[in-house]
Amino acid sequence: MTENDNELEAADEGVDAEEATEAEPDAEPEAEAEQPETVAEEATEAAEAEPEEAPEEAATPFDEDVMPDEEADLLIPVEDYLAAGVHIGTQQKTEDMERFIHRVRDDGLYVLDVSQTDKRIRVAADFLANYSPEQVLVTSSRQYGRYPAEKFADAIGARARTGRFIPGTLTNPDYAGYIEPDVVVVTDPIGDSQAVKEAITVGIPVIAMCDSNNQVSNVDLVIPTNNKGRRALSVVYWLLANETLDRRGAEPAYALEDFEAEI
Amino acid sequence: MSNAEQRQERQCISCGINISGMSAASFKCPECGRQVYRCAKCRKQSNLYECPDCGFRGP
Repeated sequence: MTENDNELEAADEGVDAEEATEAEPDAEPEAEAEQPETVAEEATEAAEAEPEEAPEEAATPFDEDVMPDEEADLLIPVEDYLAAGVHIGTQQKTEDMERFIHRVRDDGLYVLDVSQTDKRIRVAADFLANYSPEQVLVTSSRQYGRYPAEKFADAIGARARTGRFIPGTLTNPDYAGYIEPDVVVVTDPIGDSQAVKEAITVGIPVIAMCDSNNQVSNVDLVIPTNNKGRRALSVVYWLLANETLDRRGAEPAYALEDFEAEI
Repeated sequence: MSNAEQRQERQCISCGINISGMSAASFKCPECGRQVYRCAKCRKQSNLYECPDCGFRGP
């Protein structure tokens, strides 16, 4: 027997195995067919039980405790922040981020203080307004942050480096893509660690969007936010762009939809 | 401005050490615009800084 024959036999066995697995689902419906009555009974029981609890849930979909001062003046309604999940942290926390955390949820997720996020977006906008637009560098290696970061850079006239941050971008004058920005905005200090590292080397300030599990080492201004969610990053970059443009006296001409990446 | 005054101005806002080297950052206070210096060690250790003029606490 040659090697090819062995391969053919193995392939046949593979096909048989596939057929067997395909055949199994056919057998399941028979078993399921015996259950419909019990399933239907459970469904009707559940339907009877639900209406009692449903009104409470429907009345307070976003009524979550996310900041100490309930009547704080925010850039957008708190419901919009909650809908985007800006306040959702992680199940880990660092000592650095403790002062931005409001509470812990029952499922172990830390909830960020939305009023602090809002305040820091304004402060960051003030900070960025001190620099000329082309001297601002925005980086995002995180997939969900790429589109909002590029859009943000486009809106305020900054430069963006999304995806892999090529080492030497800030430190190697021989590299074709070498730039000398005055300030760096990073989406995640962990993912964009190369950008942070090079910013330290050249001595420029770093603004970072930090989640509850981030360390703020080598960061000069923290924006506490969920930096893992698609919509959360869109909302934060959109607000930051609008506020920065507002500080410069320009008319903010962007809607939130412009910053939302397609899935 | 004398050299002593200049040296005093270029002190880390967190620890007060005289700033030298490239790793230190200098930027304007995000709230009031006062010039702020942070030494490399305080940046690395994420030591808090407080603006003497406006009281802004960072990072």
